Amino acid sequence: MSEVIVITSGKGGVGKTTSTANIGTGLAKLGKSVVMIDTDIGLRNLDVVMGLENRIVYNLVDVVEGNCRMKQALIKDKRYSNLYLLPSAQTRDKTAVNPEQMKKLIEELRPEFDYILLDCPAGIEQGFKNAIAAADRALIVTTPEVSAIRDADRIIGLLEANDIHQINLIVNRLRMDMVKRGDMMSIEDVIDILAIDLIGAVPDDEHIVIATNQGEPLAGDSSLAGTAYMNICKRILGEEVPLMNLEASNGFFAKIAKLFK
Amino acid sequence: MSNQSVVIKSNKQGLIVVLDEKTDWESLKRDVAEKFHASAKFFGNAQMALCFQGRRLSFAEEQELVETISANCQIQVVCIVDENEATENAMRQALERQRQKEEGDLMNLQDGRFYKGTLRSGQVLESETSIVILGDVNPGARVVSKGNVIVLGTLKGNVYVGASGNESAFVAALSMDPMQIRIGDVIARSSDSQPAKSLRKKKTEDTPKIAFVEDGNIYIEPITKEVLNDINL
Repeated sequence: MSEVIVITSGKGGVGKTTSTANIGTGLAKLGKSVVMIDTDIGLRNLDVVMGLENRIVYNLVDVVEGNCRMKQALIKDKRYSNLYLLPSAQTRDKTAVNPEQMKKLIEELRPEFDYILLDCPAGIEQGFKNAIAAADRALIVTTPEVSAIRDADRIIGLLEANDIHQINLIVNRLRMDMVKRGDMMSIEDVIDILAIDLIGAVPDDEHIVIATNQGEPLAGDSSLAGTAYMNICKRILGEEVPLMNLEASNGFFAKIAKLFK
Repeated sequence: MSNQSVVIKSNKQGLIVVLDEKTDWESLKRDVAEKFHASAKFFGNAQMALCFQGRRLSFAEEQELVETISANCQIQVVCIVDENEATENAMRQALERQRQKEEGDLMNLQDGRFYKGTLRSGQVLESETSIVILGDVNPGARVVSKGNVIVLGTLKGNVYVGASGNESAFVAALSMDPMQIRIGDVIARSSDSQPAKSLRKKKTEDTPKIAFVEDGNIYIEPITKEVLNDINL
């Protein structure tokens, strides 16, 4: 039975697309068949982060409008053969698709895949409504900033109003040194405000920036963020994984230690 | 004694059987049988369309004649064409229109237009004629032309030339780094193996290049005299 997961945040720029790419890659690495759907029509990004931009011929809107078959639009990942991407259209806008059409599209994919990940656009308008229409559960991405948390709170309310009750939190771009100094909210502070279950915390890691720019997701590699995303994937599968120590390599000595590993 | 009640003529598509109006039905049928029997060898087992002229026939009579013909020779009657000048004219006109359209397409390949400005992600420029773009084509932008496309700038997006299926169309750009190129029905995409490029603007010696189809593959070559000599407009 497949599970449809929407990755959303409300606020833009907190890491929805990066998280989708890495969780999709991580789940594929764990042997699951996964399809990622970019629902950000008009401002697509997931294909760039996955490094698959040059393979796009057909897109989500083409499938919905019947210009092509589903199989023609799905792009197989270059690293994992059980990972697929359904890219979004760049020359259209969110109104090109409605929630009913999204539901139908996802029903078509359900029998083929273990996990269907929906990369949600920022905002709470049509694009958001499309993305959550067929979702079974949601992952909320937020950074430890007041503005991002405000938006996340609003999103959680909207998800609950739309009968999505399995909602988990990803705290992204955490800087433990700042938390320690008291300049940044800690994971506990964020959970306190949002009152939903945490599924993972991802440290602010420059490897993510490099990976995103190169179109090579780093889930499962040795970097801190890569490990953090892999842990999230395992928790999605139901494994109990303790929260990793995010401080590990933020210190100078840890970096030295890593060199000798 | 040659009888003139039945005359067989032929045109490009098949046979026209001219029937005499006054001869009575039974002897006419017999004459048809005789005529076709006599020419059976000549017709062989060719497939042809039949057209009856000179006499108004009911459907049943038409069937009878076709049966008579089939019984007396090996030709395969594909269809029976109504003798009608109007349809014939319509067909001729349609053919001529098609021919004119093809000539028009040829004109489009020779014609061109200019576009000034940078095409950004999500923008699409479509044209019946060739296009010269004074600016860049960014990733996510798309140019579609039935003719050729020349970019006086950097081509980083998608481009589709010869959109009506013309594989002799070409794409030229001062700096060629496209996501996808489609010429007629041939598609090529950029390679994945980008050798650990730094994100900073790499200032390489960008030479103007041209993309064209040869043996079903898209080639991208620096613009030289030899390459230009091979381009057919």
